[in-house]
Amino acid sequence: MRLRILIVGLTAILLTGVGAVFGLHHGESPDPGSAQASSSLPAGQAPADQLAASIARAQKHLSAVPGDYPAWAALGSAYTERARVTADPSYYPKAEGALHRSLKLRPAGNPAALVGLGALANARHGFAAARDLADRALRMDPYSADAYGVLADAQTQLGHPAAATEAIQHMLDLRPGLAAYARASYDLEQQGRLGDAVALMRRALGDAIDPADIAFCRFQLGELAWRAGRLGDAETEYAAGQAADPAYLPLLAGHARVAAARGHTAAALADYAELTARYPSPGYLMDYATLLRAAGQPARADQQLALAAAALRLFSANGGTDDLGAAQLAIAQGHAGPAVLAAEREWSRRHFADVADMLGWALHRSGANAEAISYARKANALGARNSGYLFHLGMIELSLGRNADARRDLSAALALNPHFSPLDAPAATAALHRLGPR
Amino acid sequence: MNRLVSLALAALGVIGIVLALPARPASARPVHPLGNFSVNQAIGLDLYPDRVAVTAVVDLAELPTLQERPAVDTTGDGTVSAPESAAYNTRVCHAMAGAVALRVDGHRVRWSVRPAGFAYRPGSAGLHTSRVSCAFDAAADLTRPATADLVNGYRADRIGWREITAAGHGVHIVHSPVPVRSVTSSLRSYPADLLGSPLDQRSARLQVEPGAGPGAGAAVHVSGGDPVSRWVAQADRVLERLVGGHLTPFVGALAVLLALMLGAAHAALPGHGKTVMAAYIAGRRGRRRDAVTVGAIVTLTHTGGVLVLGLLLTATAGLAGEVVLSWLGIASGILVAAVGVAMLAGVLRRRTPVHHHDHGHSHEHPHDHHGHPHPHPSRPVGRLSLVGMGIAGGLVPSPSALIVLLGAVGLGRTAFGVLLVLAYGAGMAAMLTAAGLLLVRLRDRWASRPRRTLARLAALAPAGTAALVLCVGLGLAGRAALGVVH
Repeated sequence: MRLRILIVGLTAILLTGVGAVFGLHHGESPDPGSAQASSSLPAGQAPADQLAASIARAQKHLSAVPGDYPAWAALGSAYTERARVTADPSYYPKAEGALHRSLKLRPAGNPAALVGLGALANARHGFAAARDLADRALRMDPYSADAYGVLADAQTQLGHPAAATEAIQHMLDLRPGLAAYARASYDLEQQGRLGDAVALMRRALGDAIDPADIAFCRFQLGELAWRAGRLGDAETEYAAGQAADPAYLPLLAGHARVAAARGHTAAALADYAELTARYPSPGYLMDYATLLRAAGQPARADQQLALAAAALRLFSANGGTDDLGAAQLAIAQGHAGPAVLAAEREWSRRHFADVADMLGWALHRSGANAEAISYARKANALGARNSGYLFHLGMIELSLGRNADARRDLSAALALNPHFSPLDAPAATAALHRLGPR
Repeated sequence: MNRLVSLALAALGVIGIVLALPARPASARPVHPLGNFSVNQAIGLDLYPDRVAVTAVVDLAELPTLQERPAVDTTGDGTVSAPESAAYNTRVCHAMAGAVALRVDGHRVRWSVRPAGFAYRPGSAGLHTSRVSCAFDAAADLTRPATADLVNGYRADRIGWREITAAGHGVHIVHSPVPVRSVTSSLRSYPADLLGSPLDQRSARLQVEPGAGPGAGAAVHVSGGDPVSRWVAQADRVLERLVGGHLTPFVGALAVLLALMLGAAHAALPGHGKTVMAAYIAGRRGRRRDAVTVGAIVTLTHTGGVLVLGLLLTATAGLAGEVVLSWLGIASGILVAAVGVAMLAGVLRRRTPVHHHDHGHSHEHPHDHHGHPHPHPSRPVGRLSLVGMGIAGGLVPSPSALIVLLGAVGLGRTAFGVLLVLAYGAGMAAMLTAAGLLLVRLRDRWASRPRRTLARLAALAPAGTAALVLCVGLGLAGRAALGVVH
């Protein structure tokens, strides 16, 4: 008996010793490669239904294994992805919590958590932070397609199209698929290559299996058609998207725009009322206000703008920064001075075409047309063919007395998409009418 | 025997605690977890013998509150007067009553609606949130068994937290998918659990029958437990942290020691048929070697089982651990029951010759020289039963060992995890064997004092033990089967 006790004791000591040896060998870090292999969630392109399932599975797994940092990172990325797919911002704080938990468990050598935080930063318009996070992740893991995806989005928005294109190319090489195709399509569109953009988005659609992903691709195809003024095609795509996933809200906005362009104002207003009730984002509220103003309902338009202002305040309160939206709102409310200040703040952060366009338009509204025109030209020079940019440029040229240029650019805006805005498209037509035929 | 029964009951209780999901206490956070766009709803259903009542609360986050403002401030003068707020409260409650449908045995009840309050509260970014309360009431006959179907279709397209609670007052709720009490204390504090998706309970079907008693709610939390299980749970968490943290020689050694202790502690806690095994050894006159054998087999089975299951779970993403555990629980229960049947059969077989002898016939029973009837003297315990018992005892992996292994694998420290599981098994072996040896010694001492009454009682022991083993086996299998069905 004593012998047995001795054996048990010796075994215990031996095991303890082996444990200590493990500590010696693994003192540095667990192997990130094998750790990543065990992560159960593909962060980049998990479709929504699978996404919901994998979120549930990861939640269950993590309540059993709270120390599994790759799973925390994957869960955080899945929450961000869910916020994107469902347009439900409530998942952002959850995503942040999960990603920080992952980083806390494993502060160094945790690229997946950095990629997740980068995607979250992009969602909150923290593009510079997103770029840095993606860079840090890529230094640890140069083969992360998801990190290149975050980097591409950030570089696009920061106004570095060449860097964005490079990142997308890496992503396409590493993991050709929906996420890479969709970004490449957007990149091509920014370069004005609409036909190629459509072709690539069709390829992305071919890769999409889940309803939410199909809806996303259909919506993007609809947008491409809409921006090229092909109303019928746009309508078809939006409808196909809604058939795939009726819950994908951006499709409702697309549907409303087509209805407004067709002159079905009441239907368009009803769509917007439903859309903004379900998802009162600053952008949708301002679009709704524009349509209400065009429909001759200025009081209700102002109500929506007040809501947009509140939504922007909340966006800031939740840690986001959107001076571009603030500038757009200030212009819509007729406050040109604050609009210029907001647009300048955004321009100091990033030289993206949208920002150049907004700054130019704000300057025009405050009467500084000479300054305005350089920004309006920058917006158009970056390559994207956008009716809104062309309209703004044309109106600034008109104010500067450059009638021939104005006629050319306003005509180009309408030629691209005669329905580009319920307020601005008629304004362009009226201006052209005043200019007379040349 | 009484002691054994109570031990067996304790074993079942501990299994219940172990199988119940570890529910984290929800910490409160003042802001809406669902963002500033959400429209959150709580429906509290109260069932009485003669009527049903609903307390409905709508908690609108900042933007919906602002969107509703024109509907509240109907005069448009920028302020909300008491009549305006009362009128809005009434309107919302009526709209909600139209969308909250309760059917008792298929018949929809007709609510009488009473507005119960409307107030603004300060929210984020200098904005307000708002809270609308309503009370619905309807006559219903719940003096007989009935089915109540509740569907909340109010503002179904909005993002938001939706909860339903149901409580019986003088009415017994037999089956309810919803809790008795609100987890948010009626939308006042939302859980900030990173691992919980927002609650989206839109309907509930309740089986009710007359009779007092609290409603049988779904969310009965297993809290605390006895000090020993609390200590074990705490040690579990410490070990998980050690596995996930920075590894130094000291931490590695500490983790192994902790795993050894945890293994011993889990073996000491009654559960998973270990008690039955002890009873088995005691009742069947096992020898020291038998105790050691069973301990070794339990440990081997357990260690192997944890390793195999751990590898399976990491290799296949679709496999749910709980389901596998449930199936293993069924297998283990059936195995225990089978051993029980075998024991019972053995006892009955042996009864016959003893009976024969009592009537004083041709030959003496070889083991009955001393005049006091031993139940079944000194025939070695059946090898097969012994092995079966050991396998049954070790078949259901201890969740804590599994968690430690999965955690280590998740961190890329697979070998370390395997080592910890081995240590865990060694701890278990030591404790089980020690317990078995102790039992054998105690029983030997007890049996060596021949007292008439005790000896009589002891004569009944084999049959009783066999029956107990069978019952516990069936109980274990049944309990595990419930987990699979659920």
